[in-house]
Amino acid sequence: MTVRPVVRLAAAALLLGALTTLPGCAAMSVKPWDRDLLSERKMSFNPLPMHMALDDHVYFSKEGSMGGQSVGGGGCGCN
Amino acid sequence: MQLSAPTPAPSLRARLRAAACVLLATGAPVMAHAESATPAWQFDATGLGYTEKARTSIFEPVARISRLFADGQSLSAEGTLDVMTGASPSGAQPTSQVVTTTSSSGNASTSTVNTVPTKPFHDFRKALELDWVLPIGLFTLSSGGHVSRERDYGSVGWHGQGSLDLDHHLSTVSLGGGVNHDEVFPMGGTPMGLEPVTAHRILTTGHDRKTVTDAMIGISRVLTRRWLFGLNGERVHEEGYLTEPYKILSVVSVLNTPDSLGVPLAGRERTENRPARRNRTDVLASSVYHLQDDVLYTTYRYYWDDWGVKSHTVDIKYRTDLPEHDWLQPHLRFYTQTPADFFTFGIRDGEPPPKYASSDFRLGPLHSVSLGLMYGCPVPKSPGEFTVRGEYMRQWGDGHPAGAIGAQQGVDLFPPLDTFTLVAGYSVQF
Repeated sequence: MTVRPVVRLAAAALLLGALTTLPGCAAMSVKPWDRDLLSERKMSFNPLPMHMALDDHVYFSKEGSMGGQSVGGGGCGCN
Repeated sequence: MQLSAPTPAPSLRARLRAAACVLLATGAPVMAHAESATPAWQFDATGLGYTEKARTSIFEPVARISRLFADGQSLSAEGTLDVMTGASPSGAQPTSQVVTTTSSSGNASTSTVNTVPTKPFHDFRKALELDWVLPIGLFTLSSGGHVSRERDYGSVGWHGQGSLDLDHHLSTVSLGGGVNHDEVFPMGGTPMGLEPVTAHRILTTGHDRKTVTDAMIGISRVLTRRWLFGLNGERVHEEGYLTEPYKILSVVSVLNTPDSLGVPLAGRERTENRPARRNRTDVLASSVYHLQDDVLYTTYRYYWDDWGVKSHTVDIKYRTDLPEHDWLQPHLRFYTQTPADFFTFGIRDGEPPPKYASSDFRLGPLHSVSLGLMYGCPVPKSPGEFTVRGEYMRQWGDGHPAGAIGAQQGVDLFPPLDTFTLVAGYSVQF
């Protein structure tokens, strides 16, 4: 691993840390009885996983980059 | 006698929606289901049709059955078929002259003027995936594996992930990893890299291995009553045979005459060759925001690898609910990437071949825009839902690079590509 990826990953880790702590005050106001909208199925990062998997397959087979959403899967020789 | 108001006639919208759902239901698997408060099973199916103008066509049906347990545990099995046919770019360069190229398997074909030379192919992939999700208090463990096989490629893989809910379920931290053991066994054997294709020099006639290991860390956070935000970082290490065995490189003439300079030399093509290692890294930021009724999904991904490819991806979806529980979701996606260090529009005659070289457009200076629209509706008198969507994608690149010589300058070396995707899906719990 070269230095630049390490720096980038460290920056990402710092951002992760900030994300876990800084918005705490705002998020504290989201009480359990205020989570009606959040409980809707459409309020998720991937409400239609099979559609997204097909999209990822198309993009992976047509582009030089991949990944981001989940680990594993794949196994296609298309790229 | 009590008078009741007459039942209003269904609105035109309602009738159209019902008709659309009936049409969509045609051909979908008929699922027997019992009315039950807690569904014990979930069935999902999708079918993808994909086509590129004058190139590849793909039909990919996927079916998934999940057993849902009362404690939140689930077991799933997913089967995929992938029927691919048509033609894909061979790697040879387009030219304003008719050129006969020889593929890595030794077959000769004649190109059409100013078009990307292609090589016909057909393949059939079968894949099976199993997944298990196990919630234990604040932890959720998930694990799964897959087996995939096609005519010249096989893959076996495993992945696992653990998630921990923190701060009264307002934050979730995830850590995951996976490993794939893939095998490549090209028809006619694996060609040696950067050798003249007419030499038919074979590296191996058996199976070449490729191992992919993957690690991911992520966090998601409820920022407000309406806003969910997530950040993922992923590192992928690939090692083994990473070359495309069927792709070739043109050798272009450096003879300084108007009819020769920059013209691909017939019968002089070489096989491509890529490094045997690749380290990929990406960071993905995701946001889900609930407006008054609609939901806005946005993601941004930055990707880089040690082959020199860097990419930016912005993906935007906007789901708007319609009055009759159906919904529409427009989709917009932008993608741009830098070329791999060894990407080249052919190699020049007389110059020593580089250690690595590829003319595969997917490693080139590539940009794309995707536009899509999805429609979803509940199945009348059933808990199931149908979805259908269409996607259009246009890809293009820098077809007039600074290093082009002679005849290359008069041709778009990276012509645009239009692709169309149609997906229908059905999901039901019973």
